[in-house]
Amino acid sequence: MSDKNGSIQQPGTQDLDLVCGTPEEEEALLEADATYMKQLAAVKQQLERVQQQRSDLPPEVRVGVYICRCGGNISDVVDVERVAEVVSLIPGVVTAKVNTFCCSDPGQQTITSDILEQNLDRVVVASCSPSLHEQTFRGAVSRANLNPYLYEQVNIREQGSWAHRHDPEGATQLAIHMISAAIGKLRYSIPLDQIKLPNHRKALVIGGGIGGMKAAVDMAGRGLLVMLVEKSDRLGGRLNERGRVYPSEKMASELVTELIQKVRANKNIEVLLNSNVTSVNGFIGNFRTVITGPFGPAGATESTDALVGAIVMATGYRPYVPRDGEFLYHQDPCVLTTPEFIQFLQSLDARTKDMVYQGRTIRSLAFLHCVGSRQLDGVHEPQSDGTLNTYCSRVCCSTILQQALAVRERFPKVRVYDFHRDIRTYGRGEEDYYINASKAGVVFFRFNGEDPIKVERNGHAGGKKAAPLTVTVKDALTWGEELEVPVDMVVLGVGMMPSHIEDLVESIKLPTGEDHFLQEVHPKLRPVEVAVNGVLLAGTAQGPMNIQETLNAAGAAAVKAASMFAKDVVELNPFVAVVDASRCTGNAICVTQCDYEGALKMVEVEVDGRKVQRAEVNAGLCSGCGACVPVCPSRAIDVDGWRLDQYDAMVDGLVADSAHSQCGVEELVHLG
Amino acid sequence: MTLATDPSKPYRPDALVVGGGIAGMQSALDLADQGLKVMLVERGPSIGGHMIALAKVFPTLDCASCITAPKMSASSHHDNIKILVNTEVQAIQTINGVHHVKLLKKATYVNFDKCIGCRLCEYACDAEYPDPLEEGLGAKRAIGVAFTNAIPQKAVLDPELCATCGTCARVCPTDAIEFDQQPETVIVETDAVVVASGFALNSLNVKPQYNAMRSKNIISGLTMERLLAPHGPYGRVLRPSDGKIPSSVAFVQCAGSRDASIGVPYCSRVCCMYAIKQAMLLSGALPIADITIYYMDIRAFGKGYEEFYQNAKAMGVNFVRGKVARIDPVDDGDLLLHVESTEDAENFLQQHRHDLVVLAQGMLPEWDMSGTTPVRRAPDGFVATPMLTSPTATTAPGIFVAGVAAGPKDIVDTIAEAGAAAMQVSQYLYQKRSIAVDQTQAAVLVG
Repeated sequence: MSDKNGSIQQPGTQDLDLVCGTPEEEEALLEADATYMKQLAAVKQQLERVQQQRSDLPPEVRVGVYICRCGGNISDVVDVERVAEVVSLIPGVVTAKVNTFCCSDPGQQTITSDILEQNLDRVVVASCSPSLHEQTFRGAVSRANLNPYLYEQVNIREQGSWAHRHDPEGATQLAIHMISAAIGKLRYSIPLDQIKLPNHRKALVIGGGIGGMKAAVDMAGRGLLVMLVEKSDRLGGRLNERGRVYPSEKMASELVTELIQKVRANKNIEVLLNSNVTSVNGFIGNFRTVITGPFGPAGATESTDALVGAIVMATGYRPYVPRDGEFLYHQDPCVLTTPEFIQFLQSLDARTKDMVYQGRTIRSLAFLHCVGSRQLDGVHEPQSDGTLNTYCSRVCCSTILQQALAVRERFPKVRVYDFHRDIRTYGRGEEDYYINASKAGVVFFRFNGEDPIKVERNGHAGGKKAAPLTVTVKDALTWGEELEVPVDMVVLGVGMMPSHIEDLVESIKLPTGEDHFLQEVHPKLRPVEVAVNGVLLAGTAQGPMNIQETLNAAGAAAVKAASMFAKDVVELNPFVAVVDASRCTGNAICVTQCDYEGALKMVEVEVDGRKVQRAEVNAGLCSGCGACVPVCPSRAIDVDGWRLDQYDAMVDGLVADSAHSQCGVEELVHLG
Repeated sequence: MTLATDPSKPYRPDALVVGGGIAGMQSALDLADQGLKVMLVERGPSIGGHMIALAKVFPTLDCASCITAPKMSASSHHDNIKILVNTEVQAIQTINGVHHVKLLKKATYVNFDKCIGCRLCEYACDAEYPDPLEEGLGAKRAIGVAFTNAIPQKAVLDPELCATCGTCARVCPTDAIEFDQQPETVIVETDAVVVASGFALNSLNVKPQYNAMRSKNIISGLTMERLLAPHGPYGRVLRPSDGKIPSSVAFVQCAGSRDASIGVPYCSRVCCMYAIKQAMLLSGALPIADITIYYMDIRAFGKGYEEFYQNAKAMGVNFVRGKVARIDPVDDGDLLLHVESTEDAENFLQQHRHDLVVLAQGMLPEWDMSGTTPVRRAPDGFVATPMLTSPTATTAPGIFVAGVAAGPKDIVDTIAEAGAAAMQVSQYLYQKRSIAVDQTQAAVLVG
C-alpha cells in the first residue's frame, strides 16, 4: 500500500495517518484551526463587550432557593442535598433549603417566613413543571408581600429526574445549572404588575347539545349572560338521534326537552341557531368573536360581532364511521352502526312482532364492540390520515347492552350475540345492564384485541335455516376456539371521534391531544380549562363521556366561568413586549413580524418638535411571543419578565462550567 | 346582585361542605372563588381525604401529593373558606329552606388557638400505636400532628391510647394541652349543603375464601399505595409479614365488587386502573418481580386510560383473565391462588404462588345520612340523585352531592362533579336570593 508520496505505509500507523493526513491536509487543518481560533477570540471579545455594556457588576440580590424532593420523585434521582450545598455558594443566595413537598402548606410556609425573616427579595423553587405549580408559589411569595414576578420556578422533575432517571449525576448537574440560570435571571428581574383589563361578563357557548345547553343554563341560572350558538336548526345535538338513555331509561327527548325549556325560559340566554362562530380574536375577558348564520327565518347569511369574556367549547363528538367494507359495512344492508340501529328500532311500530330490516327478517343479531375504538398498531387499519383511535370510547359497552336487552325484551325470539373484548359497564347502574342481558339470554363471546373478529357473507340470501352473515371469532371464553356464528344482522358498536372543528382549533389556537380531542391543561388541576385562558371545555369535545359525565363537565366549565366573572377585571401575566421609546427609530420591522393582530402598531409622537413614528404595544393582545425582539436593530423592544439581559444571565448560568465534568463551584461562584 | 352575605352579621356560611377530601375541597374552592362563604367540615384531623395518602395517580403518574397538597393549601388560605376538622355532621334539619347543621366538635384535648404545630408533644409521647394513615404499617404517637403535610398543623390527642402521663403537657411551649376539654355540639345555619363524604372500602375479609385474616401478606390497594409512596412507612416495597422484598405480586380484581353474593353487585370503577398503576410503579420499584393482575374485565375507560393499560402490557405486566376462587396461605408467608383461567383449555384450574397479594376491595359509601338528614339513599347505598339534568342534586332541595358519595368514581370524574355541584349550589343560592329580593320588593309595593 502506498500513498501519493510513494512512501510505504507501515501497518499499524494507518489510524495515525488518518488523523494527521498529508502535509497539505495538515496545513489546511492548521489554517482552519487558526481561523477558528480567530473567530473564537472575536466571539469572546464580543461577549466581553456585551457584558461590559450590560453593567459592570450584577445587581445585589438576596435569593432564597428551595429544592423539592417531591416525595422522592426528584430526590430518588437528583442529589438534592448536594444541589442545595452547591447553589448556596452562589453569591446572593441567602438560603438554600430542601423540602419533601415544597407545594404543601408547611413547604409554602417555609418560603413565606424566610422571605419575611431573612429579608429575601428573590425566590427560586426547583421542583416540577411551572405549569403545575408556578401559580401556587407565586401565591406564596405574594403572601409574604414580595412581588410574585421576583419568583422563578425551575423544573428539575419533568426535565430532570424523570427525563434522566438513569443518569443521577447528570440530573444533579443539570439541576445545579438550571438553578444557577434562574438565579442569574432573577438578578435582572424587576417587580412587575399584572395587566388588568376589563372583564366582559358574557359567555359564548359553542354547541347546542346537552353539554352546551347545560353550561348555558348553569351560567344563566347564576345571573350571567350567555350566547348559545348551534350550527344546526335545533338544540339537542346527538341526543336527538337517541331513544331511551341509560341508566335512567328515560327518553332522550325528555332530557333534551327539559334542557331546552330551561334555555328558553332564561332571558339571560340568547340562542342562535344555524350559526357558526367564524372568527375569534382577543383573550380572556375580551374575546372578539364573529358569528355567522342566517339568524332569521329568511335564511339570508348575516354576521354579528360579540364581545365575550369566556368561550365554552361544547362542540361534542361524531360517531366513528366504519370504512366501506369494514365488517361489510355499506356492503351488506344489514350491517349497521349503533346510532343507525337505534334509529331503526325506534322507527319500528310498537305492535310489530317481527324485526324486519330492508326486507330481511332478523332472527339473529350480533353486536360488535370496539369498532373504531381501542385500535392497536399493526392489527387495525389506520384511518385515511394515518391515525388509530387507541382510546376507549367509554359509552359503547353500556349502549350495546342496553340495546341488546331491549331487543331480547321486545323480540324474545331474536337470538342476540355480543362480541366484546372487555365489558366496561363501569358507571352507576350500568352493571345491571350486563347482569340483565346475561339473564335475558344474550350470548357473550370474547375476543382478544390481537385477534379481530371477521364478518363474512354466506353466499345465500337468508333462507329459513341459513343466515346470510357469519361472524367468526376466536372466543376467549372457550379457550380460544374458533367459532362461526351465523346471523342476519350485525350492529357495529362505533366509538366517538371529535367533531370537525378544525377551523375553531385553528382560530382559537386550541390544543388537541394525540386522540384529536381538545386537550385540558391538566386532568386533575385544571380539568376543563385549555392552555388558552378563558376557553373552557364542556363535554365530549374533550373526550368520550356519557350523559351524566357530560352534564358534570358542563357544570364544571360553568363554575370556572362563574369564578372568572366574579372579578371586575381579568388579570394577565405581564409578560408582554415593551418599547423603549428613546431607542425606537420607527422602522416598523417589529410590526411586520408580529403575528397577533393589533398587538403592535406604529403611532405618531412628537420628538424634539418633530413628528415621528414609534412602536406601541397593546398589552392585551400581545402574547409575549418575542418575535419582535430579535428583529429590532436598535434593541428598542423587549419582553417584560424575559428581557435580553435576563437571557444573557441565564446562558451564563447554564454554561458556567460546561467544560468540566464535575461541577466547578468556583466558576459558579465566579459568575456572581 | 351579589351572592355574598352581609359581612357585618355573625358567621353564617353560604354553603357547608361535608367532607374535606378532594371532592369537598374542590367544591369549596369553586364556591369560594365565586365570592361565597364556605364552611368545610372534616371528621378527621386533617383535610386531604384518601387522596393525600396515595402514591401516584393514573394516568399521568403525577404524585398524588403534588395535586392534593396545593389544593389543601389553597383551601386553607382562601379568605372565603373556614375549615373545621375533628368535626362530624350529626344531623341536618331543614326549616323554611334553611339547613340547620348539627356539628359535633370532638374533643382534641389540644387548644387549637394555642397550638403552634411544633410537634414537641408528639416527639415526647411514649404511647405508640399503628398509624391508621399508614394503613397500620407505620407507628404513630397518642398525640401529634396527623401527618407532615396535614392541614391544619395542629396536634390532636387520642384519649383511647393516651397513658395520661402528662409528658405532652409538660413539653408544650404554649400550654395548649387541655385534658379536660369536652366535645361540643354546635348548630350552623346555612342555605346550601354539599355532601362530599366519600367512601369506605369493604373488609378484606368480605370474601372468607380469600383468607385475608390468616395472612398479613394479603393487603388492600390503599396499603399498597403506602408501600409505594416514597414517603411511606418503609420507604420501599416490603411485604408486611417478614419484610421480604416481594418477587411475585398478585392483584386480585373484583375482590369486593361485581359480586352479588357480598351485596356489592356494582363496579367500583377505579380498581382496574389503580391496579395497573400500582403494577407499573412496582415494575419500577422491583424490576425483577413478576406482577400478575387477575381480572374479569379491564375497565380502562377514561381519557388516556386504555393507552395506560396497553403500556402496562407492553412493560410486561401479566394479565390473566380469570376469577380467583380461593387463596391459601402456605409456607413462608407465601400465598397460593386457585384460579379459574379462561385462557388455557388444557389447564384451566390453575394454582399460582405469590408472595404478596393485593385485593381490590369494593367501594362503599362512608356516611349514611339517611334518617338524620333529608337526603335519601338509592338502593346501592349511595346518595340518590334523581334529577335528570342535574346529576349532583339530591332528593332534598338545597343539598347537593359530589364525588364518591354519589357512587364510585375516579379522581378526574370526582373533580368535575365537585365543580358541577358547586355550580348547582351557586345557582340555587342565586335563585333563592333573587326570589327573596323580589318578595321584599313586592312586600314594599303592597305595603
